[in-house]
Amino acid sequence: MTNYDAQEVVRIHQELRERLPRDPASRVEALEKILTEKGLVDPQSIDAWVEAYQDHIGPKRGAHVVAKAWNDTGFKRRLMADAPAAIDELGYLGRATGHLKVVENTTTVHNLVVCTLCSCYPFSILGMAPAWYKVAAYRSRAVRDPRGVLEEFGVEISNDIEVRVWDSTAELRYLVLPQRPDGTEHFDEDALANLVTRNSMIGTDRDLKVTALGEG
Amino acid sequence: MDGAHDLGGQQGFGPIEVDSVSEPFNEEWEGREWGMAQCALTPELTIDWWRHCRELILPEDYLTRPYLDSWAQTDFATYIEAGWISLEEADHRGSLIEVDEPLDLPPTVSVEDILKDERNHAVRYHKVVESKPLFSEGQNIVTNKEGVAGHTRLPRYVRGIKGAINAYHGTHVFPDLSAQGKTTHQHLYSVVFACADLWPETHNSKDKVFLDLWESYLTEA
Repeated sequence: MTNYDAQEVVRIHQELRERLPRDPASRVEALEKILTEKGLVDPQSIDAWVEAYQDHIGPKRGAHVVAKAWNDTGFKRRLMADAPAAIDELGYLGRATGHLKVVENTTTVHNLVVCTLCSCYPFSILGMAPAWYKVAAYRSRAVRDPRGVLEEFGVEISNDIEVRVWDSTAELRYLVLPQRPDGTEHFDEDALANLVTRNSMIGTDRDLKVTALGEG
Repeated sequence: MDGAHDLGGQQGFGPIEVDSVSEPFNEEWEGREWGMAQCALTPELTIDWWRHCRELILPEDYLTRPYLDSWAQTDFATYIEAGWISLEEADHRGSLIEVDEPLDLPPTVSVEDILKDERNHAVRYHKVVESKPLFSEGQNIVTNKEGVAGHTRLPRYVRGIKGAINAYHGTHVFPDLSAQGKTTHQHLYSVVFACADLWPETHNSKDKVFLDLWESYLTEA
């Protein structure tokens, strides 16, 4: 039974430092071995989870949501008002999106998402978070020097644009709705979705590139 | 808790490796850890307790080891604290101890099962309560100056700072108590802060930072 004893957990972390191997692969292997031996996990179910997030649940879902919002004003209205219900229409509601909120970029506003306290991320529409999102360099600076961070991603934000940083401190998760690029009036949803980068939905990308085939 | 995890505004971590490969698992062990976290049986615990256990990882490890490695470390700690795994088992120096609670490992799941079932995992943390929210949109507030010894979601960089209510989110599970195993609900707000009020070097900036903060973190300004 969980005792919620924080002092004990500090002691356990110290002990584990001595007892567990240092390289991550061996540590995770040790965990899987014990859990399997004790009947607490089924390795084949783990396989399925890996495949689900490798091949099915990822940023393509978010890109579809964005493209649909660009193309369908009714959907966009529903998305801005109640994002969980709107993504549920597309079958994308799931882990960490029960309290999803969409924030929209405009000509005068740029949005950037971070989780300074852990690394909260809307899994069921963006999949696994990119490595940079989870490191101290990003988590520490996104709230203090967002323009400097964006520059490192190659994004220049002019002074007349307001930057809004969303620090995911509660169970709400944020998805940035990037601006629809000019010259895409005749693009269908699939072509539009191809223009949407994962980073643009976190806010570390802004001006989406248009290519002939819509392959961003 | 004023720990190493509370990174907002800390300096000296250098540039971000923006091109680091991350699609979607860099290495096999990352996928294994992710999968385990989704489907292993665990003792009953709250998400906030799990987060707190991750925050309690020794700072030098927290700041230098890979993200999903810290999940594995946290899993070990939560299993051991609950008595489901012993320290001796963790490094295979002891024989297996019995788990003292009824266990029923569900049948193997397939990718199709996972995709079909995903929407049932959109956990909702809100609840309708009778009390009225203290603050309304546009109202000025000031955040608590002091931190708390245990888990909290009021980061250091916004403590004792004036801000304004941007929106009301309803009542959500209060993490400070949830991390102690007590489920209570409290009004939650989107609160907006001017960068100029947060950092000395940004006094000319019109940029803003938004955080979702619980009512007891705030006082009327």
